[in-house]
Parts: sequence; C-alpha cells; structure tokens
Amino acid sequence: MNATLARGLAGGLLLLALWEAVVRLAQVPPWILPPPSGIVATTWSARGALLDAGAMTLFEATAGYAIGAALGLLLAMLLALTTPVRKLVLPMIVLINSVPVAAYAPLALLWFGTGALSKVVMVAFIVGFTVFLNALDGLLRVDPAAVSLFRSFGAGPLGLLWRLRLPSALPAILVGLRVSTVRSMIVAIVTEMLGSQKGLGWTIFEAVLQIDFLRVWAAILAASLISLSFFATVSAIERRLVFWR
Amino acid sequence: MLTVGAAAGPRAKLQLNGVSRHFGAVQALAKVDLGIAEGEFVTLIGPSGCGKSTLFNIVAGLLEADKGGEVLLDGAAASLLGKVAFMPQRDLLLPWRNVLDNAILAAEIEGQPKRAARETARSMAADFGLKGFEGHYPQQLSGGMRQRVALMRTFMFDRDVMLLDEPFGALDALTRAMMQRWLLDIWSRYRRTILFITHDIDEAIFLGDRVVVMSARPGSIKLERRIELPRPRDPALLTTPEFNAIKRELLDAVEEESLKTFAAGAV
Ligand SMILES: Nc1ncnc2c1ncn2[C@@H]1O[C@H](COP(=O)(O)OP(=O)(O)O)[C@@H](O)[C@H]1O
Ligand SMILES: [Mg+2]
Repeated sequence: MNATLARGLAGGLLLLALWEAVVRLAQVPPWILPPPSGIVATTWSARGALLDAGAMTLFEATAGYAIGAALGLLLAMLLALTTPVRKLVLPMIVLINSVPVAAYAPLALLWFGTGALSKVVMVAFIVGFTVFLNALDGLLRVDPAAVSLFRSFGAGPLGLLWRLRLPSALPAILVGLRVSTVRSMIVAIVTEMLGSQKGLGWTIFEAVLQIDFLRVWAAILAASLISLSFFATVSAIERRLVFWR
Repeated sequence: MLTVGAAAGPRAKLQLNGVSRHFGAVQALAKVDLGIAEGEFVTLIGPSGCGKSTLFNIVAGLLEADKGGEVLLDGAAASLLGKVAFMPQRDLLLPWRNVLDNAILAAEIEGQPKRAARETARSMAADFGLKGFEGHYPQQLSGGMRQRVALMRTFMFDRDVMLLDEPFGALDALTRAMMQRWLLDIWSRYRRTILFITHDIDEAIFLGDRVVVMSARPGSIKLERRIELPRPRDPALLTTPEFNAIKRELLDAVEEESLKTFAAGAV
C-alpha cells in the first residue's frame, strides 16, 4: 500500500513538472492552461475565500453523504427482509437511478431553493442510491449453506440479518461508501454551479464569468484536495472494518 | 451379524421411518429406516450423490421429507429445526469472528450473554486443541484447526444429537488420523449421540459403534454392521485381523454401490 502511494506521488510530481515545463517552454497563454506554480500561488493568495467556499461544499457533501448512506443502508436492510416488496419496488428504483444526476438538479433547486438544502438533498439522493444498491447486493449474496447453518441453530430473519447478512455485506457496503465520497463532492459542486451563492462550484462558475481562469484552477485544486481527503478517510475506515479481506 | 433397516434397541434417541425425498425428477432418498440409540456413535457411508447430505438436512429440520416418512426425536415427531447440532460439510467459519466468537455462534443465537458464552468457550478451548488460538481468525488457522473450531461450535450448541457431515473429508491422511482419535476422546468425555458421514471405510469402522452403508441413489440403508471392537480404540486397531475382516465385509457392499453409481455416470 505504501509503495503504491509512493509510486502515485512520484508519478504525480513528474506529471506536474512536465506540465510546468510544457506551459513555460511553449508559452501557453494562462487562460488556456496556467502553470502549476501559478495555480498554487493563486490558491495561496485566495486561501481565505477558498477555505470558506470549501467548507461550505464539504458541509453539503458530508451532510448529504451521511443522510444518504443511512437511508440507503436502512432501505437495503428492509428490502432484504421482505422479498415480495423487494421484487415489486427494485425495478422502479433501478429505473430512477439510471437517469443522469444533473437532470434532477434543477428540480432540487426549484423545490429546495438555492441554499445548502438543495445540495444536501441532491447528494443524499445520489449517495443513497449508490449505498442502497451495493448494500442490497451484499445482503442478498450470502452463502446459502451459511444460512442453513444459522437456521439449524434456530436463527430467525433478524438474527440472520444482524449476524450473517450485515457482516457478509460489509465489504460491498464499504465499496459503496468509498465511491460515494467522490460522487458526493461532484454532485455538490455541480448543483452549486447551477444555482447558489456559496461554495466551490459557485466560485468556479463566478470565476469563469469574470474570465479569471487562475481562480477557476485554484478552486478545482481546492475541490480535488478536499475530495481526496474524504476518499482517503473512508478508505482508511474501510481497511479497519473489513480487516478479513 | 448383518441386518438391514433395523432399529436401535428398545427406545431410539433418533428414529427414521420410511424417509424419502425427491428433487423434481431426481429421487435422492428412498424409504430410509434407521434408529440410533442414546449415546451411540453411528457412521454413515455411501457413494457420493447417494443422498447423505440430504438425509442430514432432513434430520436437522432444514429440508422437508416427502410425505409418508417420519423422523422421531425421543419418540416425538416435532419440528427438528434447532433441536440437533448440525455440522455441515464445509466449516463455514465466519471470517470476521475470531476462534472464540465463532465457537459461541450458536450460544449467541440462542440468546446467551456473550461474556458467559465466551467463558465457556475459553474453558473448552484446550479440549479442542485451540488453547492459545482463541483470538486468531479463521484465515490464520490450518485446515485441522478450522475443523476443530467448527466442531467446538457444534459441541457448544448443546444438543443430545450431533450430525457431522464428512468433517475430516478435506484433511490430509495424517491430520485426519489424529483428528479421529481426538474426536473419540472428546466424544467419550462429552458423550453425545453422533451420526457421522464419511466416505472412508477405515474411518467409519474406527469411529463407529455401528456402520451404516447406504445404497447408490436413490439412497436407502443397504446394510448395518455393529462394530464390537473394544474402546478406547487406538491406531494399532487398523491392522488387526478383526478390523480387516469387518473391512472386507463392508468393502464388498460399498463397492457394489459405488459401481452402480459409476455405471449410472454420476461420478
Ligand atoms: N437442493 C437440491 N436440489 C436439487 N437436487 C438436489 C438438491 N440437493 C441434493 N440434490 C441431489 O440429490 C442427490 C443427493 O445429494 P446429496 O445428499 O448432496 O449427496 P451426498 O451428500 O451423498 O453426496 C444428488 O443427486 C444431488 O444432485
Ligand atoms: Mg454430501
């Protein structure tokens, strides 16, 4: 794991050096592609505003993430227990989930306003689906022989869910939670771009209007760093919880 | 000496009368009659696919028998689910539970407090050769140890009747011989009624008070042979003339059935 990290870092640094060199040597105009050094400098000088915007976006993403993950997991457990209901509603859920996220965003803005709520709702919606589908798959994909063993010990549906299905599904659930980290940031930013007065998405949108491309890049850098830390945190939790994999 | 479909004395602990089962067009079991006395160690041997595991699933209450048959536990025909301790063919240890917590699974499902169950398990660990490994996870254990954890889990599900489905089938010969002696030792101490499936004739004779041979599919009882070899038994027994005489008798029966299975293209 550490070797992978080191290789990734080395690769990233190499790429940045190449980027810097090409931009300088070919004298690429900054509105097309600024050099990394310029982006870092702008990020530093605009750090106050970026920090505020980043905190807003991170709040929307994590609040929506927590709500969506909890609801998705709960729904998956309920549907794992009730086979007839599951067969009825699952196709519908899959259908709703196959519509691209951004398509719902205007509706969220219309219903929940241009404040944080619409972003939280959108993120919760997407994360909820991701976690739900992963969790349900994991909950249902248990070894039938293990189910038999539990039943021979007298376990009922709830005992099975708690002692067999949930732990068996934990790896799948955590995969869902891990990919949801980045998705939650994307959705929060995209929804901000479509309507808001705060956040990194709004910062990017505003900077584009003002043709301030260095600030666009600075906001992108901030968003990437936040997203990466969120992802790394959940990955670390995943490695601790799913220790047997 | 050879009897067919007999009962086990006056009052059987477990009694099967005319138990059949089919899966669609496949007749897996055909009228199995078998009685097992309290505290008896019965080994069940038969060609693969003859319905041994199906029989176990029925006795464990996991599978319904076809109409017309009955399974009596202590003379009563009630639901069997949760009444017998069942050890399936694979160990099915849970990778997220350590040795102790795997062993207490049944106790926990029954609602025993975890702490008390763990104490019991800890006191049994030495008997099962798991002392010092209580905190290990299944993935860290050898095949023989995993089987002992699974056996301990089965013993901790405190039922009079135990069903063991080829518990040593996946072990190498040396480990298996060791585990057989160990199981007899444990059995003499915990004294349970055991029904034990194996495909190894030596194992069936070495362990059993009685060996039951099943016919090729559809499985029924082909013959039963009481094993009157003295206990405690030790490995030297395997080379005695008495042992070999019994083995020859049983081999004939088993081979006949295996050939039928072979001819039917099922192996
Ligand atoms: N759930 C099932 N559905 C359909 N066929 C089954 C099922 N379980 C067992 N069988 C069939 O019944 C026969 C007996 O199987 P099994 O009891 O597992 O044999 P054994 O344990 O003696 O090897 C086999 O032919 C098997 O294919
Ligand atoms: Mg079998």
